[in-house]
Amino acid sequence: MSLVTVNIDDKSYEAKENSLLIDLLILHDIKVPYFCYHESLGADGNCRMCMVEIEGKKRPQIACDTFVSDGMSIQTASEKISSVRKRILELELINHPVDCPICDQAGECKLQDYYMDFGLYDSNIDMKEKVHNKKHIALGSSVILDRERCVLCTRCVRFTSNITKSGELGVINRGDKACISTVPGMKLDNPYAMNVVDLCPVGALTSKEFRFAQRVWFLKSTPSICHGCSTGCNIFIDHNQEKYKEDKIYRIRPRKNREVNGDFICDYGRLSYKNLQENRQQELLNKSNVISYEDALLELNSKISGSKNIVILVDANLYNEDIAAISNFSQKIGAKLVCPTECYFDDSFGDDWLKSDYKCANLQAIKNYKIDSLFSSDQQIDLLINFNHPSFSKFSSKQSVEFSTHKGSSAELVLAIPAYSEYSGTTINDANIEQYSQKAITTDVATISEYLSDLSKVAL
Amino acid sequence: MNKKIKTIQRHGKTFKDRIYIPAIIEGLKTTIKHLAHNVSDINSVDVLEYPEEQPTDITERYRGLHRLTHREDGTISCVACFMCATACPSACIFIEATQREDGVDEKMPQKFSIDTLECIFCGYCVEACPCDAIRMDTGIFSLIGREREDFLLDKEKLLSFKGAFAQEDSIARK
Ligand code: SF4
Ligand code: SF4
Ligand code: SF4
Ligand code: SF4
Ligand code: FES
Repeated sequence: MSLVTVNIDDKSYEAKENSLLIDLLILHDIKVPYFCYHESLGADGNCRMCMVEIEGKKRPQIACDTFVSDGMSIQTASEKISSVRKRILELELINHPVDCPICDQAGECKLQDYYMDFGLYDSNIDMKEKVHNKKHIALGSSVILDRERCVLCTRCVRFTSNITKSGELGVINRGDKACISTVPGMKLDNPYAMNVVDLCPVGALTSKEFRFAQRVWFLKSTPSICHGCSTGCNIFIDHNQEKYKEDKIYRIRPRKNREVNGDFICDYGRLSYKNLQENRQQELLNKSNVISYEDALLELNSKISGSKNIVILVDANLYNEDIAAISNFSQKIGAKLVCPTECYFDDSFGDDWLKSDYKCANLQAIKNYKIDSLFSSDQQIDLLINFNHPSFSKFSSKQSVEFSTHKGSSAELVLAIPAYSEYSGTTINDANIEQYSQKAITTDVATISEYLSDLSKVAL
Repeated sequence: MNKKIKTIQRHGKTFKDRIYIPAIIEGLKTTIKHLAHNVSDINSVDVLEYPEEQPTDITERYRGLHRLTHREDGTISCVACFMCATACPSACIFIEATQREDGVDEKMPQKFSIDTLECIFCGYCVEACPCDAIRMDTGIFSLIGREREDFLLDKEKLLSFKGAFAQEDSIARK
């Protein structure tokens, strides 16, 4: 496709012929307000917020429905546009409850942002005259609708009709009675439903799981990779350490990556942060007694040197760096390295969009390191060392050691390790893309690499 | 909320202002006048025999101990919006929000406490509150306790304080 030159606010930009003007504005961070347009949902042209002035056109035009053409000349901040925007925004807000103190969206709300950027007018309407509507409607899938706050951009409707094709949401009634509703007798119920919360530009759709948990401006967002399945969706881990309290994850949000997950994640991944914080192994245990780090290494060392037939189980969720370290370690002590992958397989989980059949994040690395994935042992195992693999209990051995993120291990020696959100590393998804997860939460638990390198010092 | 800008005329640019000496002499005159008066009659010096004598000049603008206000129906007016906690420079307001079930509002604090040992009594919390739910108009200027915990005022305590002046209930959340 050929390139065209477009002049915006007296600067020229290049764009693909027949691409949308609004994409060009967004790409170059040129301020333009919009509610209904979304890169993944396309244009709908209902909110009229994205008005720009195009030379040669009598009236302002919407940028989300305008294709660029060569030599086009556009004004995005002229006096005329500013006043048009202001009036459209005022219309959007006419019956808006301005609930910001009790609205979870406050701080990341497009209405708030646009009011500060383009509005700043004195309201002409008395709070008492506002038309009221139903609030706090549970739509299903932990999504809560507040009809008063809705700007009827139909992003949520288009998500369920065009993307998940489940069609639960629609607009009912007309004029100022128009509102979002589920189809009668239906609940919002699909594995991706909670994406509508991120899509909603205002606080009309909020998540029950995050309801009133934190104000968003306190949260720190750390880029990471979801460990729910082998698709490796890009996410933000939103966490906050309140004064005198532990650092805590409050939500997981999708992070845009065109190659992997686009703008979305599944609800299973979105809610997976709960498991990261529940029932966690914190101490080092020897036969259920808490021991020190040094004693644990000595115990591990003596177990290794007293055993002949050693098997190491490795979890297919660990980072590449861990798997490399474990693979080196197993060669050094002459152990057999295995990762039975059957336990990760769940074809009721996978679908033809994001969710994949294998519920582990780094299956590809297991393949790359040629780790035995079908292992079943008839030989007697002297020592079984498990690095957080879920099917540890299926194997019997004379002695056992488990590196575990969660409580409930039956091994003699239990060594706590951090979950993926608590240190950084890379994973390879099922499309062979290597991706990096940053450390979100700080713990004082040692990582696998730290254990193994300290162990080699003890062994000397 | 239009941005309104008012230009203020600056003073103090004349020659007399810039050499300072006339202003210093003017100030010293007042000091010497007071000195002479006090030395001649020692009983006229202003002394408050605290704590036997209590101050009588606490005005409505005095920043005393905080309180949480009520609505007209007697329930809490705070909606746990965290504006006060965000504005607080000492980070000494601790709030846990919860769903409000009585139909009056959607949100309220489950827990709300102020650590008055950390508080610097700046009044930013009062200014930040969109609900007129927190005030410092109790007129209470001294708080006594035996342990550190006694200075951590919880929601019940904050709600129990009465305003020392005319306006008792919140004027923003009725
Ligand atoms: S949707 Fe936005 S403007 Fe409306 S109450 Fe919520 S935060 Fe405020
Ligand atoms: S609920 Fe949100 S996403 Fe749906 S139409 Fe209303 S404002 Fe748009
Ligand atoms: S008076 Fe100042 S320091 Fe004290 S709680 Fe209020 S905002 Fe914080
Ligand atoms: S006291 Fe006011 S500012 Fe603080 S949380 Fe309550 S309503 Fe918000
Ligand atoms: S974004 Fe263009 S009309 Fe809504």
